[in-house]
Amino acid sequence: MQAAESPRLSDRRFRAGDAALQLVAGAAALAACVVVGLIVWKVIAGSLPSIRAYGVHFVWRVAWNPVLGHEVYGAGSFLFGTAVTSLVALLLAAPLAIGVALFLTELAPRFLRGPVTALVETLAAIPSVVIGLWGILVLGPVLRDHVEPALHSALGFIPLFGPASSSGSSVFTAIVVLTIMILPIVSSISRELFLGVPRELREGALALGTTRWEMVRGVVLPYARSGIAAAMILGLGRAIGEAIAVSQVIGSVVGIHWSLFSGGDTLGSKIAESYQGGTTKLQVASLIYLGLILLVFSLLMNVAAQWIVRRGARRQGVGTNRGALG
Amino acid sequence: MPKLGTVTRTTLVAAIAALATATAATARTHDTTLTGAGSTFVAPLLAQWIQPLGSAYGYSLQYSAIGSGGGIAAVTGRTVDFGASDAPLTPDQFAACKGCVQIPWALSATAIIYNLDGVKNLLHMNGATLAKIFAGQITKWNDPAIKKLNKGVDLPGQQIATVHRSDNSGTTYNFTDFLSSASPAWKSKYGKGVSVNWPVGTGQRGSSGVAAGVSQTPGGIGYVDVAYALKNHLKYFAMQNRSGKFATPGLKGILGAAAAQVKPDPTTNELSIVDPPTKFKLAYPVSTFTYVIVPTSSPKAAELRKFLFWAVTRGQSYGPRLLFQPIPKSVLVVAEKTIAKIK
Repeated sequence: MQAAESPRLSDRRFRAGDAALQLVAGAAALAACVVVGLIVWKVIAGSLPSIRAYGVHFVWRVAWNPVLGHEVYGAGSFLFGTAVTSLVALLLAAPLAIGVALFLTELAPRFLRGPVTALVETLAAIPSVVIGLWGILVLGPVLRDHVEPALHSALGFIPLFGPASSSGSSVFTAIVVLTIMILPIVSSISRELFLGVPRELREGALALGTTRWEMVRGVVLPYARSGIAAAMILGLGRAIGEAIAVSQVIGSVVGIHWSLFSGGDTLGSKIAESYQGGTTKLQVASLIYLGLILLVFSLLMNVAAQWIVRRGARRQGVGTNRGALG
Repeated sequence: MPKLGTVTRTTLVAAIAALATATAATARTHDTTLTGAGSTFVAPLLAQWIQPLGSAYGYSLQYSAIGSGGGIAAVTGRTVDFGASDAPLTPDQFAACKGCVQIPWALSATAIIYNLDGVKNLLHMNGATLAKIFAGQITKWNDPAIKKLNKGVDLPGQQIATVHRSDNSGTTYNFTDFLSSASPAWKSKYGKGVSVNWPVGTGQRGSSGVAAGVSQTPGGIGYVDVAYALKNHLKYFAMQNRSGKFATPGLKGILGAAAAQVKPDPTTNELSIVDPPTKFKLAYPVSTFTYVIVPTSSPKAAELRKFLFWAVTRGQSYGPRLLFQPIPKSVLVVAEKTIAKIK
């Protein structure tokens, strides 16, 4: 009797543990959903006065005047600024990051790998306000005095490279700051992916007589392709949402200017600059409306990212993809 | 066994928590902490007050200089006992703050700073020209309008680069209030506010951002509170007032502007002393009052009343060495009347 009862007891305890796990994990997942739901609800509710006043036109109207009696708001220039800064920053950061990751996994001598990896990851840990400060004091003047004039004189016929900025605060400075911020994200994920490439595949390629470059191009990169795309999207997400560092270096200018060397503004930085001490209800609502647009923008980016990763997976065959992501 | 361990630990944690609460409770009965947030402009003055206020009443004062806008938000949310702002509350802000009053409690000026290599400090400038510069109509330092104000000064043909605040700022309010008063064109096109629709130039966060922007930009021009300009050895203009005289943003100039004796608005206590009339010959025209914002019903009403009364009377004597001019009598009377409303 006794012997028969004890396994049932332990059995029951086992089930209680299962139920507890179910409960805790379920509650955690639910809480996450509820928080997202609450945020979305609050953002929509907060932006209602502005939505009522401006409707969808707000999204592309290029205007922002908070002066009492002259009030008019629109997201156009900030949407433009967000798209330009984040996409160009990704364009610059992606090849650099993949290069760093390849160096660390394939090329660097063993004694260098640890320290360099740690340093690159430290870059991700620097608070954005510190990077922004460095952007104002060091990077901005250097870009203004050396890089921008050089680009203007060489490529000035393209409207993107207008005359150098006067203060060092420009869309270009913001792009470089964002590049530095997303570089460690993309590179550390890529590094993990490259490390995950099965040894047999590399060795097989080398045994077939490929050079190291051919091995990288033919085996490592294709194997990690969809993972890299996902890493880039993560970096892009960071670039889109970054507010403080951008607001420190972008020069806060309303309007659409094609030259990268003129001032601009992004959705995130505009919110960071103006939210505290918004003077009217309409202004505060319009700032929250900017937040809503940012939310939708990020969501679209996420969906696009998943689509890219899935497409990559299909092209690659499911097996290898699972390996790459795992 | 492990269960027992957990129980013991929980008890211990609870005991420590209880102890901590008890300590906090006793600490609270012994002294009062008044918390405030807002204007960076008055922060140095408040820092001077901490010591004497402690010895006078045993109050400790905690102030976070997060900017006027942040101060208004903080007192509206009642996360602090008082907020400080250099710009008067707008009607919407008054409504949101539910029963707040604003009291003028300090008086200082905004300096117009510039960065021109090899050119002396205290160049001459007037409001109309300044408005044209910030509107983008005057773009070179050797423009005839600037030359006319500075006869005998060799001005370079450099590009003017304007720098303004990108965050909501009481200093911007003071500056654009002055431009609006000096230039009808500025008033109708851009107006005044804690943030305006700047036609040209770059925006920077905070006084420090504007100062950094100007000092790194040859040909740069911007505006910061005068204490900040002096502390950081920036060059600034002597501004022409209505009488035609050029005044510096020193104590004399600020006092000259305060002598304009404008009456505070009876409902909001708002005061503007920018660009005072011709008879105030010493006035520095970009002077401003700065305000403390307090809810009329507060759990610390008695302490707040005592503190504010001290601030507008004895506290004023700590001002002059930081370039805050003591508030004039007529304003003091109004301030005291408003303080009495806190209950």
